[in-house]
Amino acid sequence: MIELDGVAKFFGPTVAVENVSLNVAAGDFCVLLGPSGCGKSTVLRMVNAMIAPDRGRIVIGGVDIATLDPIKLRRGVGYCIQSVGLFPHWTVERNIAAVPRLLGWSRPRIAARMAEVVAAMQIDKALLPRYPRELSGGQQQRIGVARALAADPDIILMDEPFAALDPISRAALQDEMRRLHEVSGKTFLFVTHDINEALRLATRIVVMNKGRVAQAGTPADILMRPVDEFVRGFLGRDELPLRLLDLVEIRDRIAPLSHRPSTTAIGGNATLRAALNMMLDHHVSRLAVADETGRIVGEIGLADIVAGGAPQ
Amino acid sequence: MSARGTPFILDRVLLTLACAGVAAVALGGFVNHAANRLADGVALPLWRAPPGDQALIAGALAAMVAASCLSREKPRALAAIGAAFALFFGCLVASAHFADRLAEGAKPAARTSLGAAFWILIALAALCALNAAQRGRLPFALRVAIGAGFAAGFAALAQAGVFAQLALAREFAVHRAEFMVQLWRHMALVGASVAIALAISIPLTVLALHRAHWRGLLFATLGVVQTIPSIALFGVLIAPLAALAGRFPLLGAWGVGGTGAAPAIIALTLYSLGPLVRIFVTGFNEVSADVKDAARGIGFDGRRLFFAVEFPLALPALISGLRVVAIQAIGLATVAALIGAGGLGVFVFQGIGQYALDLVLLGAIPIILMALAADLVFSAGLSAARGKR
Ligand SMILES: Nc1ncnc2c1ncn2[C@@H]1O[C@H](COP(=O)(O)OP(=O)(O)O)[C@@H](O)[C@H]1O
Ligand SMILES: [Mg+2]
Repeated sequence: MIELDGVAKFFGPTVAVENVSLNVAAGDFCVLLGPSGCGKSTVLRMVNAMIAPDRGRIVIGGVDIATLDPIKLRRGVGYCIQSVGLFPHWTVERNIAAVPRLLGWSRPRIAARMAEVVAAMQIDKALLPRYPRELSGGQQQRIGVARALAADPDIILMDEPFAALDPISRAALQDEMRRLHEVSGKTFLFVTHDINEALRLATRIVVMNKGRVAQAGTPADILMRPVDEFVRGFLGRDELPLRLLDLVEIRDRIAPLSHRPSTTAIGGNATLRAALNMMLDHHVSRLAVADETGRIVGEIGLADIVAGGAPQ
Repeated sequence: MSARGTPFILDRVLLTLACAGVAAVALGGFVNHAANRLADGVALPLWRAPPGDQALIAGALAAMVAASCLSREKPRALAAIGAAFALFFGCLVASAHFADRLAEGAKPAARTSLGAAFWILIALAALCALNAAQRGRLPFALRVAIGAGFAAGFAALAQAGVFAQLALAREFAVHRAEFMVQLWRHMALVGASVAIALAISIPLTVLALHRAHWRGLLFATLGVVQTIPSIALFGVLIAPLAALAGRFPLLGAWGVGGTGAAPAIIALTLYSLGPLVRIFVTGFNEVSADVKDAARGIGFDGRRLFFAVEFPLALPALISGLRVVAIQAIGLATVAALIGAGGLGVFVFQGIGQYALDLVLLGAIPIILMALAADLVFSAGLSAARGKR
């Protein structure tokens, strides 16, 4: 869906992005992860044709974007930034409808789509006639996301959208994005410096360092096989093994039932972290594992969790 | 004295104004009476005025004190405005009656002009009304209505000839035809120069916004103009314009010359340009970069970004820029009279030349009122442009 091929961008002497190639498949939730200044925003802005790359090609849906009208391209792609940037002189409703209006949709079509977006983002209808100034940060970013979704784009670009929010609003919006991704099948390219946010949302993670791609892969790939010290350090060297427990399900480590089964049971689709939690909670080192119907199908012991091995 | 202080006085400003009014009446002359236009007069205090008028003014000051005791903001504001009304018209009527009485049996050349206490009381009435409008958060339409009430009352009294014996009114009666001419001329000088400055400031603002290296030079040049004293700038323009008119008789035929309206409008335009460009540039620069970035990112093209986002967000700054230069030009246009451009400054400088203070006031008072009116109009525009954002 989105392909970058040997893309580079220089600002005078600064190398912002150097030889970046990546491929985001349709329906991916791709997270660009890396420290501040590593070139994540520059990549995103190049995909949105707000900056032209100095080298390389960017292809969206099979078309080199250098051949497209940048204004048309941007109207067809959702874009959402950390500072939100709502129009302070427009009501919430008019803010959300900005792109459909630019596209010249008819009034009934805009109204119908507005109702959908407002419902999908769970926006309180009482906010619609209000002005952005009167909204909390979390509410503003909810409107910002709604504005990005309003014209029903296939691709949504988000640049650290939740970095400035309080933890509760952030978690709520992250859940919203996961749900949205699951039900819509849209392609997301999402920038963050927060490893937890990346693990929570991504189907694919691209770790960047100093303008280059340090590593790209599924969250499990990256957690289990960090390519170098930089990636290992960025993922949190000390907590890496613990984070991995979030990504592996119990059924991947299940062992046959022993002759003295545990009386405490857990579902096979829970994560290893949940299993470890339950063991600590019940002061046991083995748990029975149940399938969806509640039938005991095997067991898992502390040794199976510690043993490691790739998740599927 | 109880520990709670003075529990009944809820607006100390009103009380202070009333006390200042009493002090002004006690210490200053309410009118001055002179044998003729040029002679020094004697100051006559308010208590020599007709008793009914004294009572009116005393009543207005007492009403001010009484209003300060009302506990709710809105009624207190309205009561204070009522008191200001009474004080304003009390002073006008009292001074007019006083002048009528002094004119009886005096020579026709004798003059009664307004004294210090009169002007202080008028200023106190204005402060009282402004304070009430602010603190009572009166809606804009009501403020305009109150202002119109003062103006209409004054116009009605003037029309009825109540002020006929006051020196200011007699100066007006003598100069009536010329007054109207110069009043319009003053407005024309201001209007023309602000309009020309606005037209020139637009390309200069664009230049300063898009060519950062020109901005410094531009601001420095316009800043230098601001530092030239107005009389000097008017004077400096006389020679080149006279030379120009000499070279090109057609220009002279259009009224361009070393003296007259042309140098005045050029000078006023130059004075307006600096603040205008500076405020315009600041206004556009202060439009949030995040908002512009988001707008570009979701597909606003340059033209829409300007008309739908940057211009409306900068509009309040643009209006306040116009307000500043309009009020400044109203004041500076006074000086234009010195180079033959006309305007209300004609009366001010004639009056100074003849040592006739009332003639000076005939020019100065409308200038002040014009500046206040401009302020009111631009404030209305400003609050409309800000909207609810
Ligand atoms: N418009 C610009 N002009 C000059 N330098 C820039 C510009 N945009 C980004 N940079 C530089 O490019 C590098 C990458 O920036 P950016 O893509 O914003 O990083 P990130 O989003 O990962 O924090 C930084 O060193 C930054 O200072
Ligand atoms: Mg960034």
